[in-house]
Amino acid sequence: MIEPWIILALATVLGAVGMWLLLPRGTGRGRAAGAAFALAALGAWASLVPGLGDWLSNSLFGVLAAVTLLAAGAMIACRSPIYSAIWFGMTLVGTAGLFLLTGAEFLAVATLVVYAGAILVTFLFVLMLSQPEGHTSYDRRSWAAVLSAAAGALLIGVLSMTLTAVLRGPVATAAVPQTVEPTAASYPLAQLGTDLFTRYVIPVEVAALLLLAALVGAAVIIGPGRTHPEHEPTP
Amino acid sequence: MNSNIATLHSYLAVAAVLVGIGLVGFLSRRNMIVMFLSAETMLQGVSLSLVAWGRFHNDLGGQMLVLFIIALAAAEAAIALALVVTMFVRSGKLDIAAWQDLREADQPPFEEADLPPEPCDEPAAWPHLAPAGIEPSTSDEKENYRPKM
Repeated sequence: MIEPWIILALATVLGAVGMWLLLPRGTGRGRAAGAAFALAALGAWASLVPGLGDWLSNSLFGVLAAVTLLAAGAMIACRSPIYSAIWFGMTLVGTAGLFLLTGAEFLAVATLVVYAGAILVTFLFVLMLSQPEGHTSYDRRSWAAVLSAAAGALLIGVLSMTLTAVLRGPVATAAVPQTVEPTAASYPLAQLGTDLFTRYVIPVEVAALLLLAALVGAAVIIGPGRTHPEHEPTP
Repeated sequence: MNSNIATLHSYLAVAAVLVGIGLVGFLSRRNMIVMFLSAETMLQGVSLSLVAWGRFHNDLGGQMLVLFIIALAAAEAAIALALVVTMFVRSGKLDIAAWQDLREADQPPFEEADLPPEPCDEPAAWPHLAPAGIEPSTSDEKENYRPKM
């Protein structure tokens, strides 16, 4: 039996190398190897997660998690921003499925509705702003690819290590008195709405103000006086 | 109880990887729209962990927080896309490296290296049809224009 931290360190290094190879570096070479490395890292890392071990009972979660993570990886690896936007939509679908699996039905629908709208807008932006002559140079080469891949893999490794240490330790098991398995009756949607407009009514008002401020702010930022400074009247 | 902890662990692990992937994309990609999408991916990871904790404690607080995160993300998307459009109008490209004048004083500038040509960089090839009728007058630009993604 190999120690868990060795597997985790191996997964971290493999993940860093894989993500570095996947990022656009100016050449298309090594991207297949990068995908293989990243998949191997994901596999090694997934073997440490206890809930993922039993594939039969967790197959739905496994499929959704795989869809989410692979789509997220493809999103940062795709050179064309349009494909990135589409892969991000796939990530959203996976996350909404995970929400649904957790019992957060409203959040799943809200994620799809709000983010799908945002994604559509982003998609339009990409279509409007992208260059028609193939991939641009800034889409073909990323900067600080080594450092950022290492930083991301290290973050994942440290977070997983902390998770393993905390959730397997005696502290966490002692601190959890009883948790009821959520059923349809224990997570009523009506309870969410009641809470939202009684206990959290002031945050709702603040969020409304924030959205209004964002609306006005976006209009001010993009206003005609700012975008064409050369057209301003000279004093 | 053990399976509950295992479920929580799985969800938190997925959330951690989502945050990590989003971090990599945000740090390394230079297209401002892709950077924006990466930031949204990090938000998704945080939302997932909040929902998982909410289920673990059988509390609606986690879901409520995610609800506000979604509202916040909508506001963020409006502001970020307005900024992206403004910066695109000013610099003419979505490259974040066009704004590297804002870096720290002691940092070396980022220099664009030459890139090998892509396979799709070949000149456009149009099919030739048998001429019929009167030839219309078209400019060279129209004939050679070929949109590619």
